[in-house]
Formats: sequence, structure tokens, C-alpha cells
Amino acid sequence: MSHLFRILPALGFALALVLGWELYCALSGVSTLVLPAPSGVVGALVRERDEILRHAVSTVGVAATGFSLSVTFAFATSVALHFLPWLRRGAMPLLVASQTVPLVALAPLMILWFGFGLLPKVLLVILVTFFPILVSLLSGYRAAPRAFVDLMTSMGAGRGRIFRQVNLPAARASFFAGLRISATYAIVATIFAEYAGARQGIGIYILTAKNNFRADHVLAGVVVSAVLTLTLLGLLWLVDALTARRFRERRHAQD
Amino acid sequence: MLRIEGLTIRARDRVIVEDIGFDMAEDRVTCLIGPSGCGKTSVQKWLAGVLAPELSVEGQARRDGRGLARPDPDLAYQPQQDALFPWLTIRENACLGLGVAGLSRRAARAKVDPLFTPFGLAGCEDLFPDQLSGGMRQRAAFLRTIVQDTRYVLLDEPFSALDAVTRLTMQDWLCARLRDRPRGVLLITHDLHEATRIADRILVMSARPGRIVADIPLTIAREDRSEAALADLRTHLKTLLLEDTQ
Repeated sequence: MSHLFRILPALGFALALVLGWELYCALSGVSTLVLPAPSGVVGALVRERDEILRHAVSTVGVAATGFSLSVTFAFATSVALHFLPWLRRGAMPLLVASQTVPLVALAPLMILWFGFGLLPKVLLVILVTFFPILVSLLSGYRAAPRAFVDLMTSMGAGRGRIFRQVNLPAARASFFAGLRISATYAIVATIFAEYAGARQGIGIYILTAKNNFRADHVLAGVVVSAVLTLTLLGLLWLVDALTARRFRERRHAQD
Repeated sequence: MLRIEGLTIRARDRVIVEDIGFDMAEDRVTCLIGPSGCGKTSVQKWLAGVLAPELSVEGQARRDGRGLARPDPDLAYQPQQDALFPWLTIRENACLGLGVAGLSRRAARAKVDPLFTPFGLAGCEDLFPDQLSGGMRQRAAFLRTIVQDTRYVLLDEPFSALDAVTRLTMQDWLCARLRDRPRGVLLITHDLHEATRIADRILVMSARPGRIVADIPLTIAREDRSEAALADLRTHLKTLLLEDTQ
């Protein structure tokens, strides 16, 4: 019940926005080629469901592959950078610089270098989502309380054990925060990669719809993109909740 | 016997402690008191092998005439407050040192489990630290330290985060545990009442650079340490500390 109350303002706001949009389209007489009403977008979603599903499956495949690889690479890199300060000092400026390259320049280059297959799209998702996960892991490792590290050191624990028993658990909250940020980029990056060059995917669906002046289909693609991103965030929330027993806030002090 | 000789710790721009030297008997509580920032914790961290690497150190520590390894398996360290890992249960926290020493999970558990009742933690084995009160958390931290079965124990202001009543209870409780199983304890505290209730010997440090300015053995048995019996000693300690800070 408390959850319902928490999301009630957001639901109310969204509903008001959709109703306002619907009313504006009905009363202003704006062309559906320019701005279709929400009911028109829903209609397009229903009519195009098979086509959209085919493209969405492709997008999900690319995003899931890219995101999973990104998490794996980010974790492996974070461990290497944590244990090797000289590597961290050398690599971090380059990694930061890599984030300044605009997606709009990167996507065509990936297509140019690696063709229209899966690889350039997966690489683009990795490039976009890798950095927030890496940074969140590294800052999480550093957030481990000094007293915990001192305690383990005084017991004679080596760096590997201290990492496993102190740094890694201490980085959990920060890691999930980074994952959530990256997850919001993952679907968008996939769609952008598809937009730049692909055979199928929501990006291609939107591009084709735009070329055919079907604003309702474009918006249907946008809705699907939003739903996919929210689904990914929901899955992450679920994984977080299912694995959080040890990390949940508890306050039952027995004074 | 643990002997510290000629210990000087320097940061880049200042001397933290200078020419510290004292002995620690295996079954005695040695209390280190002094004004804030005088380097008490640095001395203890150096003994525990966790002093910041950017600090330079001269001097040596010897155990039974031989050089002390830092960290040393015969020396357990309890940092300020309790340092219980919030993601581990009380049992898992208690087993940490044994796991590092190479004991299997089962062997460590077999060693820890019988101690929960004498430490007043029966039924708390599978709880997490934030489910316990301050006093219980402190007892769990002591359990983790004591179960390592070292001859020497370093305690850095173990009761500073507790309320006054819990602190008194915990001081009595610690004295009782040490009576059962004597250890060489180096206790850091700001609290003169705590020092005079628990210690067999009090070392008073000066303000930075920290030096030992008084070495006071307590000859009154712990059970006879009434407020009246300790009044003169506390006044003397207070005078020493105030003299140094003025």
C-alpha cells in the first residue's frame, strides 16, 4: 500500500500529461503527420505489434549482450585498476577522454570498421555503458572503511582476501547505482547503433517510420524503447532486492 | 614480555611521537592516556602493523627478546569503535580472524560458538551487527578479538561510543573476562575513570610530539578500587594532563 502511495504522484502526473496531449490533439486540429494523439500511438502499437516485436527482440538481444559484456569487462578492469595503481594512473585519463567522444561520431565509425553485424552495435553499447559501472566500482572499493581494512591487515590478511571480504561488499551499493545509470543508456545506445546502420531493431523501425512520415510509428518505437529501459531497470531492482539480505538496513537494536 | 624501544613516528612536516619506550607484561592491562592528537593511536597502529605507509618510523618492538613481526600472529587489534562488518552475521564477524589464520569455516565455528553465552550473546549468532545494541556490538567485537587467542591485545578506545551506563557495565565485563583469561592488554582511552578502573599501569603521554611523561603502576586490587581510593590518583592524572596542555 505504501508503494502505491509513493508512485501515485508520478502516475497522476503522467496521466495528466497524456490527457492534456490527447485534448490538445483533439481541439487544436494539429495534423496526425506532425503530432499523433496518444490514442493514435496506442493504435499504431496494436496494429504494428508483430513488426515491433520482431525489431524489439533484436534490440533486446544486442542490448543484453552488450550490457552483460560491459558489466564483465568493467568488473575485470576495476579489479586490475584497484590492484595496480600505476595502471589506474595511466589508464584513467584515457578512459575519461573516451567519454568525451560523441555517440553521433562513434556510431558511424563502428559501422564503418566492423560492418552491419552484431559486433559494432555490441561494441557501442559497451563503450557507452562501461564507464559508469567502472567508476562506480572503483569509488565503491575506495569507500571501504579504513578501520575494516586495518582490522583485516592486523589479522594478517593479504590484499586478495581484504578485497574479497571488505572492498567488494563495500562497493555493492555504488555498483548497483552505476548499473542503473548504465542500464538507462544501454537501450538508447543500441537504438542509436541500429539507427546508424543495421538490418533490424527498434532503431531501424524508427528510421523507416520517419522516412515514411509515420509519426505515430516513430512514437510507438519510442514507447517500446522506454518500456524496454524500464524493464531492464526493473530487472536490476529485482536482482538487487533478491541479493540484498546481508546489505539491507536493519534497525532492531535490543537496548 | 613485549618491549617497545625508542619509537619515533614522523610525518613529513612534524614529529608525531618521540622516543616512546615501555614494556607490556602478558597478564597486565597497560593503559595509554594523553591529550587528543598526542599519537596514542599511532603507537598502537604501528604495533598492529597498520600504520599509514607515508609515516616514517624509528625504533623497534621485541617479543620475548625477538623482533616483533607487524602484523604479528600473537597480537590482536581492535580499532576504534567496533568495526563489525555490517554484511556479516555476528558469528561470521567473530570467525574473521580465525579464517585469516587458516581455520576452516567449521573449525572456526566450533571455536567461536561456545563463547557466545559467556560473552552475553547467546541467540545473536545469526543476527547482523545493526540488530544489536551498542553494548552487544562491543561484546561481539571483543569476542572476535579474544577468540584469536593471542597473548597480547590492542584496544583503541573500545568504549568511547557507548553511553555512560553501558560503558561502566562493559568495563566491569572486560575486567571479568580478563580475570578468566589474562592477556597483555594495551588500552587507549581518554577517560580517566576508565583508565583507573581497568589498568594495572597507566602511561601518560604529553601533547604532540607525544612522549611518555609518567609511568604509574596501580597497586590497588580492582575490586578495592572505590571512588575514594582512586580520587588522589585521578587528581594527579588530571594535573599531569592539564599541565601538559597549558
